Amino acid sequence: MPNIELAEMLVALVEGVQAPPEAGLVITEAEMDVPLEVTGGVRNGELVIFGAVPHSRWKSGVLPPVHLGRLRVEWTPDA
Amino acid sequence: MAGDGSFLVEDFINAITTQLDRVQDALRLKAVNRPLTYALKDLSLDLQVFVEVDGQGHVRFRTSGPNETGSSTVRLSFTTITKPMIEENTISLAMTRSPSLDEIGLGEQEQKRLEQIGVHNAAQLQRLGESTGARAVARWSGIPADRLRQALQQSRPQLTKVKPEPPAAPPKMPPPSSPKVPGPPPLKRTPATVARPKRQAGPPRDLPPPVSRPQQPATPAQPVAPVSKDVIQVAPDTRRLQLFGDNLIGERGAPQVFLNRQALDLAEAEDDRLVVELPEELAGGTLEIELPDGQQLTYELSVTNGTDPWIP
Repeated sequence: MPNIELAEMLVALVEGVQAPPEAGLVITEAEMDVPLEVTGGVRNGELVIFGAVPHSRWKSGVLPPVHLGRLRVEWTPDA
Repeated sequence: MAGDGSFLVEDFINAITTQLDRVQDALRLKAVNRPLTYALKDLSLDLQVFVEVDGQGHVRFRTSGPNETGSSTVRLSFTTITKPMIEENTISLAMTRSPSLDEIGLGEQEQKRLEQIGVHNAAQLQRLGESTGARAVARWSGIPADRLRQALQQSRPQLTKVKPEPPAAPPKMPPPSSPKVPGPPPLKRTPATVARPKRQAGPPRDLPPPVSRPQQPATPAQPVAPVSKDVIQVAPDTRRLQLFGDNLIGERGAPQVFLNRQALDLAEAEDDRLVVELPEELAGGTLEIELPDGQQLTYELSVTNGTDPWIP
């Protein structure tokens, strides 16, 4: 799985909060506990944080450990 | 990032905040075309890391690898705050302009001792010294008071030179554009050098006689009186004045410049250079400069004779 920057993962998680249009619902707030594989790398001399979903939910001896991320997303009607 | 994959805590937090800024920017761009959007209010990360301290005393994180046990769980929480809250909880930008402890000649160990008591630059050291006294700062930091005073002396604003700004060069006018007409093929160009007949060595040519000037009475050579360094001579068409020095911008801002007790506008302000606008009707007089630390310097501005040497 390619390295995904933490920003891209978080934007994808926020976009996933929306209810389907035919549901007739509006989600105003959401809290998510998301397992993430958080790693750091150097690009152009700067530290960059990558955060991707875990390769597997099973614990193995070869995959990096999973860290827990908690997000709170709120609806912003005045944006 | 060290070779063992560890990174400084501050670098890690800066990298996380950079990612969060990108998230906010992306969501803001989405809001341009979509009436319904969401914002990321809080983010909390429970990181499984090993905490280490390197030889310089910096705390470093190293994420645990596969099958590694015994890591610590560090919870980092990020939340959104407004600009007034940032301004309340952080030091002012003017304070950050002050020279760092390294720039005022303090060693690495001395800097660490001062950072432990919350002093990161010369302005904070000055402020702490004013409120508690130099001896108290010396006692807490373990740095001799004389050493601190010497370091503070280096951080004081200093003005080294004042001179008029040379007029800007006129912009180069582009050649007039003409409609492209297909012409003959380009000719072969000859080298740019022009062959000239070789001049035979001989006696120098007779130069035209010099222009006669009215005879002045012979006077013994007298030494030219040097211009006082406190006198600044400017041409009548000078519009700006440059001030050079060090640490010119302090916590209270840039220096104030007065000409004949009239405040001059600041055109450019940097830590080592200021540019002030002179009035349209320039007249000589007293130039007063008040530095951020209260020092007052006085110069004499003298407008030179405005005769144009090219006028016949």
